[in-house]
Amino acid sequence: MTNLAERDLTQPSRRGFLKGAAAAAATLVAPGIFLYRTGQAATSLSSEARWGLLIDTNVLSEADVDACVSACQREHGWRAEPGSKTDAQWIRKVKLTDQETGHQKFLPMMCLHCESPPCVDVCPTGASFKRADGIVLVNKHICIGCRYCMMACPYKARSFIHETLKDQLPVAPRGKGTVESCTLCVHRVDRDGANAVPACAEAVNRGERKAIVFGDLNDPQSEISQRLQELGGKRLRADMGLNPGVRYQGL
Amino acid sequence: MRSLVSIPRLLLLAALGLAPLGILDAAEYEASGFGEIAVPSPERPARAEQCVEPVEVMRRDHMKLLDHQRDETVINGERDSKYSLVGCMNCHNPASESGEVVRYEDPQHFCAECHAYASVKIDCFECHADRGLEQLQQGKLDTGFPAWSGNGAGLSSATLGHRLEVGQ
Repeated sequence: MTNLAERDLTQPSRRGFLKGAAAAAATLVAPGIFLYRTGQAATSLSSEARWGLLIDTNVLSEADVDACVSACQREHGWRAEPGSKTDAQWIRKVKLTDQETGHQKFLPMMCLHCESPPCVDVCPTGASFKRADGIVLVNKHICIGCRYCMMACPYKARSFIHETLKDQLPVAPRGKGTVESCTLCVHRVDRDGANAVPACAEAVNRGERKAIVFGDLNDPQSEISQRLQELGGKRLRADMGLNPGVRYQGL
Repeated sequence: MRSLVSIPRLLLLAALGLAPLGILDAAEYEASGFGEIAVPSPERPARAEQCVEPVEVMRRDHMKLLDHQRDETVINGERDSKYSLVGCMNCHNPASESGEVVRYEDPQHFCAECHAYASVKIDCFECHADRGLEQLQQGKLDTGFPAWSGNGAGLSSATLGHRLEVGQ
């Protein structure tokens, strides 16, 4: 049996140790003041705007849709990796054929940036999220690659990276083991706001001919809202009530 | 049964094999070269006189700044910060003697030099570009794409400002 009084004299007491530890933590925190400063400077994104796209399939030819896809590939540096059985699917070409008349239509399909995105509902880590301005993204820093969101998305908008990648572009970091999808060219949106033109729109719009219109769905004066008011726009699978931010005309 | 018997035998062999390492005396240790591992001193970029924070702060806290900034960028869309990783790579991008881009796996890479020494794995460059914008525009991409167009699409004003400074 140890004599308690004797041990108190020769060894630091538990209380004393805890006191010392608390003091050390305080002094360690103090030099980190700059972190507080960056925390204050942080901007929070405005939820006033809700960004969306209006795609006029009456104007788009097959070549136009191909141009959309390759423009997206150039902008973000993705492609079908050699030997891969699962291609990246930021944007893809969809062909619709009327069986009776043989009439064909081509449209670009990508993440539709739903108001109530199922991919966000199912994500176990919160990596799949909707920004305040309505853009649905994958936060790849916390994506664990479980691919629940790919299962949940009714538009098959997401894809998984199986390969080790090299030479990613600064505007589109991508890496093995994470899910990715269309970002609505979020880097351009953050820079240009309502005047932003996503790469796919840039590839097919020429002067007055605007096949893909980007804009603020919440602003009734914006071009996209005016066009939607005038000619309407289809929400794909509107029955699911997801209210996509990407609308189609001519379907 | 045979495999069960062989496990202790293997352990014994391993112990015998490792034993000589434990009996290095001082002279042998000197000769082994273990004592001569140099503390890394990565080359400072010639381009800028001063990093975004004092060197002591960057050395100790660069990972905290980047960690904070990545969330600000991804979630809040803040792309103008001086703490962006693109900004880092614009200055800290040494080219090798042959003019080739130094990749992050290469011990000459600015980040790799200390991280190899401290044995801390960098995950950043498995997704992010490990080089500066100018190098990206020089047509040395492995992805099969032409050199990055570099028309400034999507780059923050801080980044563009940097490019103006270096005369592009």
